[in-house]
Amino acid sequence: MTDTLISLAEVSLTLASPAGDVEILRGIDLSVAAGERVGIIGPSGSGKSSLLMVLGGLERATEGRVEVLGQDLTGLDEDALARLRRAQMGVVFQAFHLIPTMTAIENVATPLELAGRADAFDRAADLLGQVGLGHREGHYPAQLSGGEQQRVALARALAPGPRLLLADEPTGNLDGKTGSAVIDLLFGLSGEQGATLVLVTHEQRLADRCERVVRMASGRIEDDERRTEAAA
Amino acid sequence: MNGVQNGAMLGFAWKVALRELRGGLAGFRVFLACLALGVAGIAAVGSLTAAINMGLAAEGRSILGGDVSVTLTYRSATEDERAWMNAAGDVSEIADLRSMVGTVGEEVERSLAQVKGVDGAYPLYGAVGLEGIDTLAEGIEQRDGRWGLVAETVLIDRLGLALGDELSLGTGTFVLRGALTAEPDAAAGGMALGPRVIVATEGLREVGLLSEGTLYETLYRIRVEPGTDIAALGEDFAETFPEAGARWRDRANAAPGVARFVERIGAFLVLVGLAALVIGGVGVGAAVRGYLNRKVPTIAALRTLGTPAGTVFAAYLMQIAVIAALGIAIGLIIGGGGVALAGPWIAEALPVPARFGIYPTPLAIAALYGMLTAALFALWPLSWLREVRPAQLFRLSGGGETTDHIPRPSMLAVLVIATLLFALVVAALSGAPELALGVIAVITAALLILRGVGALAARGAERLARGPLGRRSPSLRLALGAIGAPGGGTVDVVMALGLGLGVLSAIGQVDHNMQRLIQTQLPAGAPAFFLVDIQPDQVEPVQARLAGIDGVERVETAPMLRGVITQLEGVPAREAEIDPDGAWVLRGDRGVTYSVEPPEGAVLTAGEWWPADYDGPPLVSFIDEEGRQLGLEPGDEITVSILGRPITATIANLRVVEWQGLGMNFIMVMSPNALRGAPHTHIATIYADEASEAPVLRAIGREFLNVTAVRVREQIDRVSGALANLGAATRWGALAVLLTGLAVLIGSAGAAAERQVREAAVLKVLGAERPTILSSFALRAALMGLLAGFVALIWGSVAAWAVTAFVLDGDFALAPLQALAVILGGALLNLIAGLAFAARPLRLRPAGVLRAEAG
Repeated sequence: MTDTLISLAEVSLTLASPAGDVEILRGIDLSVAAGERVGIIGPSGSGKSSLLMVLGGLERATEGRVEVLGQDLTGLDEDALARLRRAQMGVVFQAFHLIPTMTAIENVATPLELAGRADAFDRAADLLGQVGLGHREGHYPAQLSGGEQQRVALARALAPGPRLLLADEPTGNLDGKTGSAVIDLLFGLSGEQGATLVLVTHEQRLADRCERVVRMASGRIEDDERRTEAAA
Repeated sequence: MNGVQNGAMLGFAWKVALRELRGGLAGFRVFLACLALGVAGIAAVGSLTAAINMGLAAEGRSILGGDVSVTLTYRSATEDERAWMNAAGDVSEIADLRSMVGTVGEEVERSLAQVKGVDGAYPLYGAVGLEGIDTLAEGIEQRDGRWGLVAETVLIDRLGLALGDELSLGTGTFVLRGALTAEPDAAAGGMALGPRVIVATEGLREVGLLSEGTLYETLYRIRVEPGTDIAALGEDFAETFPEAGARWRDRANAAPGVARFVERIGAFLVLVGLAALVIGGVGVGAAVRGYLNRKVPTIAALRTLGTPAGTVFAAYLMQIAVIAALGIAIGLIIGGGGVALAGPWIAEALPVPARFGIYPTPLAIAALYGMLTAALFALWPLSWLREVRPAQLFRLSGGGETTDHIPRPSMLAVLVIATLLFALVVAALSGAPELALGVIAVITAALLILRGVGALAARGAERLARGPLGRRSPSLRLALGAIGAPGGGTVDVVMALGLGLGVLSAIGQVDHNMQRLIQTQLPAGAPAFFLVDIQPDQVEPVQARLAGIDGVERVETAPMLRGVITQLEGVPAREAEIDPDGAWVLRGDRGVTYSVEPPEGAVLTAGEWWPADYDGPPLVSFIDEEGRQLGLEPGDEITVSILGRPITATIANLRVVEWQGLGMNFIMVMSPNALRGAPHTHIATIYADEASEAPVLRAIGREFLNVTAVRVREQIDRVSGALANLGAATRWGALAVLLTGLAVLIGSAGAAAERQVREAAVLKVLGAERPTILSSFALRAALMGLLAGFVALIWGSVAAWAVTAFVLDGDFALAPLQALAVILGGALLNLIAGLAFAARPLRLRPAGVLRAEAG
């Protein structure tokens, strides 16, 4: 029997806009087991990034039940959600979202420091080495290329040893070759750590590297395909 | 480009400006607030000064008590003089002197008072305010053989009197018949040493206070026929009575002391307002920079479409000019309109008359200062538009700071010339050019230093963030990183807060040192009392009586006369070419004494002292510094009018006088034969400890009724009190400076808030709880504020030291509590401004922020 890491039941998300309320997610049911690698794919506006935000506790579902890492997220306040992410989650964004006033190693060490880890900088240095940026520790984000920034973001997301890694279009701002290198690292390192991976992408090629592909359209899950073997 | 093309381009620039302004003023609130506050302050001070000047001019007759006032020292007018006055118009004779008044009975309480003896014609203009009686005549007339008296309420309270009580004055007693609530000609007099008392001149004469040799002034107020040429009348008096030693004053210049004071304090407060405006300029610069940052995509598009850099520059310059005009208009309405509207309330608090209204000149000056400041501070960031290449603009469209650049040399030259022009305009309009240029030099230097310190601090913070300190905690690293980040606002905060707190600190430290010098240094070697009006036959009894009182260390006495210098080397004093710093010596009557020996402690700097048995033509010893300012040296002749008699004396020597000790010293010491036969009294200084002051006062009060005792400690308290009021006025001005600084801080904190929203969202993703994020925001604000406070303390103290050492000529001592308050105040103010903007970053959900960021 496998542990269920994510369990969504009848989840809806409606956001206010100047033109009126917009239904982003409608009645989502989803269950993800520990260690699974799930690709979420769909056209722009299908709700896949919003689903990832809900899973990370970065957005509150309007309706339904969101259980992640054994916690009902709907019942947690902002600080409790932050503690949960700090201890067990990593998030990678398309726009990197590094802190511009901190160097690469400081960015990677930050979640570890927040968790009170004494070895924060040693581990950060180790992780930067693993993503091939050991020589760029002291550089600021503005001094790094897009691919390098995303590798720093990946190292930062993996730094606390998360059980759940959420990646939102991690190659969206990168060229094909650089993007492939980042994806290789993402799969390789999350696999080594045994982290559950939820990857949002609009590229079928990337989704195909996951054992499971969830297809979304208009805020609903249209298809949930499990494969026996992921593409290399 | 030819002229037609230039015109077309300017027309296009204006169209672009108007289209851009359709977006509203949302990003310009701080810009408007900074400019409006500074302009409002200057407009308010200017309007108030104008209102007082108009009031003084309009009420000149009442203030002076006549169309003309002729003041004589020590004497009444001669028959010829009085006949001349009577021919000129209606005349009122007033005697003015200082004396002691006391209660009558077993427990005698005495107080120094400024006594005015009036005739039936007083006042020629205006009305005396009274309580307890209807007319002044009722209050002072002789009834049942006893003269009446009216006194200011403060004296009535001090002595615990009730109407009908008897009061001793001179050698007689008077009956208190009424309370004096308003004296129409109060502002025309000099500094009063005690509360005002009014009696009939005849009564004063009866109690011996106008006897020969006593210190008093006689003032003749004249009401002339309408249309009389007053200037010609003055010239006629001077020509008819060249040796009278009289002081002539007319209604156009009724209260020169007050007018001079109002002018000086007004000029000073306008300069303080200017400091506020300069701080506002920092906010203007920051707002323009922020605006251009937001407009990068528009500017990029305009340049790509072929718009010349100069046209883009003109378009944004026009926008800034329109918004600046709006800010200036708001300031003028608040400052000028506010003073006009609050006029009735302000008038009640003012001791001088004022005519409130809208005065165009001070408003125009305030508007000019506002325009020049806006131009100076906006040109720097705007100049970037002339220098940036389109490719740079497109790279910047993705975000980042754009306009924190150093302009090219030609623009720097324009800025330097504009600054000099600004300084010259301020100097010309301020009415105090030296002070204005000094203040502008200090503010410019302070701004440059603060800018440098801000830039250094930003760089230092960035290094610290990367060092071991930054690794101690992410909150600290984040705070230091934000302080060091480009466009982090550190330079703006350090400049605005540093300048505001520095002005406050400088004024506070100067005030502290002035009070300290007066309260501690001066009295250390100063006497406890001055006694005046000691008759020659009382000198020995007074000395003997005082010698018997414990605590009286020594008593010094000297003959005392007063005289007006009428000629220098045969040239009328008013026509003599002299150093303006020495003009005060000629302005009124000065103390004169005679002595066989040089005064104790005096050092001769030129010439010789006369022999003990000298009996030749009159000789005089003059004080060195003022003597040189008047161009005098041994051998020169001066003519001094004493009791209406001209005495021409030869300068025998110049001597150095130590004024600070408040000991007995005279501008002029004459050889004894020069004043032989002149009726006079003696003055005494009593050196005594504080415990013996009451017994001295009692002894003099009971046994020497005609002698007036001036308690030095009390007068020092009065001066301290006056200085405290002045300090309070300037502190209010400085607070206005700080308020503008606060507006800049709020603007800076507002600009930083967007970055903090992003930071907070990312930190929440990484697992930071809200208290952690809040502490980081608080830490950065407090650190920046501490730095600004520290720099403000240093430059403010240096400025205060310079004023104390070179203007007040005293030793400087730092006020430690005030210094601490400046540093902590800086931290607190920036903390408040920072935390006011922290709520939004803490409240927003990360998803919304990050989604917007991703575009």
